[in-house]
Amino acid sequence: MSIASRRRVQLAVLLGPVSLFLAVFFLGPLAIMMVTSFLAPGLYGGVEWTFYPHNFGRILGFADPMFEDFDPVYIAIFIRSVKIAALTVFAALLVCYPAAFCIARLSERWKNFCLFLITLPFFTSLIVRLFVWVLILRQTGLVNEMLLSSGLIARPLDLIYTDGAIILGMVYVFIPFMFMPVYASVEKLDWTLVRASLDLGAGPIRTFWRIILPLTAPGIVGGAIIVFIPALGNFVVPAILGGAKVMMLGNLIEQQFLAARNWPFGSALAMMVMSVMLVLLLVYVLASGRRGADATLNR
Amino acid sequence: MKIARSLFRGSLLAYTALFFAFIYIPLVVIAVYSFNSNPVNMMTWTGFTTEWYAQVLGFKTTVSENALYIESTGQLIQAVWNSLVIATSTTLIATVFGTAIAIGLYRFNFLGQRFYRVIMFMPMLMPDIVLGIALLIFFVNSGISLGLTTIIIGQCTFLISYVFIVVSARLAGMDRTLENASADLGADEWTTFRRVVLPQLLPGIVGGALLAFIISMDDLVITYFIAGVDVTTLPMFIFAMLRRGIKPEINAIAVMMLTFSFVVASLGLYLRFRQK
Amino acid sequence: MQDSIVRLEGASKTFATPEGGSVTALDAIDLQVRRNEFLTLLGPSGCGKTTLLQVISGFVELGGGRILIDGEDMTDRPPYRRPVNTVFQNYALFPHMTVGENTAYALEVAGVAKAKRREQVAAALKMVGLEGMEGRRPRQLSGGQQQRVALARAIIARPKLLLLDEPLSALDKNLRQAMQIELKTLQHELGISFIFVTHDQQEALTMSDRVAVLSGGRIQQLDTPRAIYDHPVNSFVATFIGASNLFDGRIDGDRLMTSDGTEIRHRRTPSAASGAATALIRPEQFFLEDGDERFPTLDVDLEAIVFVGSTFELFGRTRAGRKIIAEIPAGRRNLIGDIERTRRARLAYDPAAVHLIQPCAEA
Repeated sequence: MSIASRRRVQLAVLLGPVSLFLAVFFLGPLAIMMVTSFLAPGLYGGVEWTFYPHNFGRILGFADPMFEDFDPVYIAIFIRSVKIAALTVFAALLVCYPAAFCIARLSERWKNFCLFLITLPFFTSLIVRLFVWVLILRQTGLVNEMLLSSGLIARPLDLIYTDGAIILGMVYVFIPFMFMPVYASVEKLDWTLVRASLDLGAGPIRTFWRIILPLTAPGIVGGAIIVFIPALGNFVVPAILGGAKVMMLGNLIEQQFLAARNWPFGSALAMMVMSVMLVLLLVYVLASGRRGADATLNR
Repeated sequence: MKIARSLFRGSLLAYTALFFAFIYIPLVVIAVYSFNSNPVNMMTWTGFTTEWYAQVLGFKTTVSENALYIESTGQLIQAVWNSLVIATSTTLIATVFGTAIAIGLYRFNFLGQRFYRVIMFMPMLMPDIVLGIALLIFFVNSGISLGLTTIIIGQCTFLISYVFIVVSARLAGMDRTLENASADLGADEWTTFRRVVLPQLLPGIVGGALLAFIISMDDLVITYFIAGVDVTTLPMFIFAMLRRGIKPEINAIAVMMLTFSFVVASLGLYLRFRQK
Repeated sequence: MQDSIVRLEGASKTFATPEGGSVTALDAIDLQVRRNEFLTLLGPSGCGKTTLLQVISGFVELGGGRILIDGEDMTDRPPYRRPVNTVFQNYALFPHMTVGENTAYALEVAGVAKAKRREQVAAALKMVGLEGMEGRRPRQLSGGQQQRVALARAIIARPKLLLLDEPLSALDKNLRQAMQIELKTLQHELGISFIFVTHDQQEALTMSDRVAVLSGGRIQQLDTPRAIYDHPVNSFVATFIGASNLFDGRIDGDRLMTSDGTEIRHRRTPSAASGAATALIRPEQFFLEDGDERFPTLDVDLEAIVFVGSTFELFGRTRAGRKIIAEIPAGRRNLIGDIERTRRARLAYDPAAVHLIQPCAEA
């Protein structure tokens, strides 16, 4: 057997089974979901095999005139989800960015210890970490108990089941996602450039805007994307900390599948979430490709 | 100027301390209050008890009237067992598949390689809920009945990604001239792989497997959609309990889970950081 | 018994560039490496010297031509079946193995028994001055020690040929000079051929029996260090090795006239009777004219006089504006004093030392 054909066999053995697995169980389901999003919902839960664009119409403004008028509630939920996800990204950045600077300048031992402390919660149960915030925020939770007993307030505050609670919960669980990319670029930052800027007469604030921020931007963008994507379609956090009051895309999709049994409409909603993710990913790949710094995707 | 700088330093340090407080204080709070004897208002301290732990673990001690017991310890144990079975199988499959693909993409150059690499990141980046419902539609349409099998297949789709990334990172850090050196000294391809590539890759494979195991144990969303009615995993069990109402027993379960994963993850991470 | 250990016949290799073009790394190279010879491949980066080395070790497949090692055709043999070992530029020591395991690797994969292995490892490590270091890890060693391990590992299986890919480039200057001598000694002890790749001309001249100067995928000149220095075949070799003053012009009897009117005298040889040629005068071949009129001279306006310890380096221009560099032994200080004052010098040279480069030899 020639070297070339032996290498082809090796390659086929290594990649073949996985490719087949992912084609069937990853790309396959996504394709079927896409098809489903263009089918009509059946009366008792199933689907009817006719082309039906009104699943997207219900969201985007051309609802099926046979059944309903256009109701902007879905687009409102979509916008609200984007808003909450964006606020989560912003808050997470605010929490992580200054800390990254502080940790990056510690000694090697302390640095590693801090990174260890930040990574550790990622390995513990997500649902348990969210549950902790229920105990802290609810009417009879820790914060309210403390405020009541200290006499600062007379009635418990509404802390849980608010947008704020959802954002807080998401920031809490996504901290490692934001911190790691941000920290990676902060640590790489060449401090002689900062000194050079100060030496050339720029003040600390201008130096921050003109030197530090642009140089750490790749980490910020990377962190923003990998926090935004799971935040947008999140369903666990709103289900636990948002109660029934705060509806996000994730809960809406869950409802379509498990309660309303309108799978085509649920698929259409999921398609919207997925397209946002794909667009963001594409922008990131193109942008990093242009910078020639696509180290994350290209070994 | 000097004062301004040290002031800045100090506030940055204080901020970072707050950052860690934000991460850890909630966990400390729950650990402390899991020993609170107050059955109704869990955040009002009425005394020390280990009753909730005892009840979770199946040896009830005192039965106070207000206490709301978890359905049964048997269900909890079944859920833990299911999670362990799933996590073990998925870890095995995902580790083999993820490692194979990482090595394939590292060793060979072929058309569309870059595209392949991007595709390999997709399952990890795909929002849980999208993948969950896509798998649900797929399994229902293809007539595969929902249960352990579907959960294992479904989790593997994205766990392969994680293993792939961890192993790829390790491969990327490897010095390719070492393989040349081995060949130069007379070792054929297989010997080179066994004696030079694999030993250096092993920490990456173990790390990837550990990550896959932990994520599998913790996965709620995807599992939730494709579990069917008969199978419950540990995260699903807790989620269902939470949705029915907060009880002190959940507190005890939560603390036990936290302790367990802290110990395991600490060991793993400690070894990794030490190695560096 | 053949007298060449390696023979390359018309060895060619082109690489595709990422932009879609192609680069000729080896352009139909013929080369014979003699037994027990220390041959250096010298050239600027990108000249093809590393490719040539990899063709011999087997990591690069030939595009055309063939390669014989010890009379056997090796063109299609994989690296692990060639009787050749390499010392890599970054040493390529296996980080997960000890020094002993690294050194024993070639014997181990060849199936040599353990006891015998241990014996040979000890002997090889002794040879490179690392006795008793078997248990150490590569990263616990200094750069120089890693270098020695790489060397021991490469010679333990007694290859017919040892390839060294810029092995000294990562070492500091003193260590490098010590290693140069050690390598040369080691080669004598082992009695095998070394092919040494470097871009450092000093290193090439110091160590080699013969030097092959490469450029543009071709061997420009293959000869002893002295021949290459004294009689370069073309102006590339002349400028790449050592500093040089080159004068392009036409030969007229025993002189060479450049287009700007400079006249260079040379010893008349029958082969260089007339036509275009380039004259080479090395900086150290100039000396200061001190009234003796036996030698031809060049008048130079000096731009800089640099004291470098053993010599003074003079940088100047002829009246026609041609740049001249000369080296004057520092012992002749009294003359330097005059020059420093006047900023002018009359530089003499011996016509017998002028080397003529014939244009037909230009690549």
